[in-house]
Amino acid sequence: MSGGREQVLAAIRRSLGRGALGADARAALDARRGATDSEPLLPKLPKGTPAQVFRTGLEKVSGTMSELTALEEVPGAVAGYLAGHGLAPETAVAPSLEALDWAGAGIAPSVGPTRGGDFAGVSQAWRGVAESGSLVLLSGPENPTSLNFLPDHHIVVLRAQDLVSHLEQAWAALRERGEKGWPRTVNVITGPSRTADIELTIQLGAHGPRSLHVLLVD
Amino acid sequence: MEPLSHAFKERSIWALQDETLQVALNRAKDGFAVKRATAVDRLPEFEALRDRAVAIKDHTLENLDHYLERYADAVERSGGKVHWASSAEDARRIVVDICRASGARMITKGKSMVGEEVGVNGALEEAGFEVVETDLGEYIIQLAHEPPSHIIVPAVHKTRGQIAELFHQNHEKYGLTRKLAEVPEMVNEARQVLRGKYLAADVGITGANFLIAESGTSVIVTNEGNGDLTCSLPKVHIVTAGIEKVVPTVEDASTLLRLLGRSATGQDMTTYTTFTTGPKRPGDTDGPEEYHVVLIDNGRTTMLGDQFREMLRCIRCGACMNHCPVYGAIGGHAYGWVYPGPMGSVLTPLAVGLKEAGNLPNACTLNGHCAEVCPVRIPLPDLLRTLRHREYQLRLGLKPMRWGLAAWVWFTTHPRIYRLGTRVQARMLALLAGRKGRFRRMPLAGSWFRGGRDLPAPQGETFMAVWQRRQRGQG
Ligand code: SF4
Repeated sequence: MSGGREQVLAAIRRSLGRGALGADARAALDARRGATDSEPLLPKLPKGTPAQVFRTGLEKVSGTMSELTALEEVPGAVAGYLAGHGLAPETAVAPSLEALDWAGAGIAPSVGPTRGGDFAGVSQAWRGVAESGSLVLLSGPENPTSLNFLPDHHIVVLRAQDLVSHLEQAWAALRERGEKGWPRTVNVITGPSRTADIELTIQLGAHGPRSLHVLLVD
Repeated sequence: MEPLSHAFKERSIWALQDETLQVALNRAKDGFAVKRATAVDRLPEFEALRDRAVAIKDHTLENLDHYLERYADAVERSGGKVHWASSAEDARRIVVDICRASGARMITKGKSMVGEEVGVNGALEEAGFEVVETDLGEYIIQLAHEPPSHIIVPAVHKTRGQIAELFHQNHEKYGLTRKLAEVPEMVNEARQVLRGKYLAADVGITGANFLIAESGTSVIVTNEGNGDLTCSLPKVHIVTAGIEKVVPTVEDASTLLRLLGRSATGQDMTTYTTFTTGPKRPGDTDGPEEYHVVLIDNGRTTMLGDQFREMLRCIRCGACMNHCPVYGAIGGHAYGWVYPGPMGSVLTPLAVGLKEAGNLPNACTLNGHCAEVCPVRIPLPDLLRTLRHREYQLRLGLKPMRWGLAAWVWFTTHPRIYRLGTRVQARMLALLAGRKGRFRRMPLAGSWFRGGRDLPAPQGETFMAVWQRRQRGQG
């Protein structure tokens, strides 16, 4: 389809009234920090600790959160969540969390991606964003994307040290991953699935999870 | 789709008399405006972010060839494939070819306005594929065989009763026979039906809100999660995107994201913002095996070169239509094509021609609300005026209107005659109206009075006369 490429690019250049840019001009564009070549404009956050600001944002979009003091507490917290919602002690679990003692908490985990048969899924966030109460999850063998979308209940483990103020900090960290670069998908998730497509009435659980619960681990 | 914009006037009259539609429109009217205003008030940096957004878009458009090349190269590096479509036909052919080559039968789609614009669904169905829209609103209008009436909430014109009826007719084949009445059960039923489709689909097609040049990433924003299921479960993912969607970096996209959710639905962040780069990586346990991007021009390069370049800044948030009194009165279908409201009144004539859609720019009160709320500060009223001017120059408007305008121009360029004329007229009309001070009918102006409107009569003196009297201190 390179014919298509040249055709579109030529039409663009005609409209811009110039030919293709020279190597110097292109290098100058590549050297810019984004379109405006300046630091991103980051909104000021409300007062409070990052965890407090994050919680406010999350709760505003109908997410819930509990705070734990160690990763070992995760299976117990998940068991409590499932029981509290009248669910059987079964859940799909991301391979990144496989090593935890699930059996000890009375949970039968199914490790790996899901095809929709699981009521709950537990995955691990790569970063949490205080500004909007959002979770950033990276796809990969350790964290299958299907866990984020197919189960009715999505439980996400977030380590307190992975909490950043703005999305831009997450992007800076992503650049530092170096050659691994961008995974196939980065999911920025802000609350459970919702729709307002029928009479503008907000309804949770349109296609994705009906509820989103964060376990913040200090 | 075939434009019906030539029938704008008839469709508007019909829309104004459609009581169900009026109920739906009234529901929408204030909801959106209030939500946006609340969200904007909470963010003191909003105006500064708008300036940034304008700068980001303008810079990218100025160097569009460069950033598109960077983007395309990055996509190929990540294992994806980029296809370039100059026209709607090209785009349709490319999408159909990819689906054929992959041996697909069933295709799920996330909401894509450019997909509507080039008519992807029709082409795929003609080629024998089963195509299912997965955004709930798009799904509803697909069942109803209607185009979207709003770019964010495509089925905003439908009432729950109408939707229940559609589900009843169409879900019987899945063994779902109960007639529903409440919104939650309807959403649930659609969820159940569409789950089956996601899991069975061979190809998933989504649009893109942004394309990131540095990394070859496409960004989609949804509240339902339908876009994610569409692009993660099938073995082929196709992204359809207009060439103006590209931005240099992920930070640029983040700035625009802060504006998009707030302007569209009053959300600080839309629920799912998904950044996709290439197909499944080695070791990945889910994700598509093939990743294609179709970059679509379809008239955009022409806009880039004329007075309408600013329109390419549009991020399809829908705020302009949510604040437009004309859209609020007639809804989206009257506009007769894919894009309604102020942005549609600019885009439609440019896409399908002024001869077909010349009336759209005329249906504007020039109140300026749309430009005030547009997150990327597109001067929509100015662009609409430019289109009116073009229409006048091309002699496309209705004859009485053109003659009227010509007469008015002559009068205003002869101030003495103009003043005399208006003085006599104001006095005469005041006398004719008598004590009621209103007209119920008038020769040659029948349409004004249609639907029970009357016209207040002038009070006997012209504005100029009053002004001069006040200036002389007599007033
Ligand atoms: S013209 Fe502006 S307000 Fe209208 S949809 Fe586009 S970006 Fe939004």
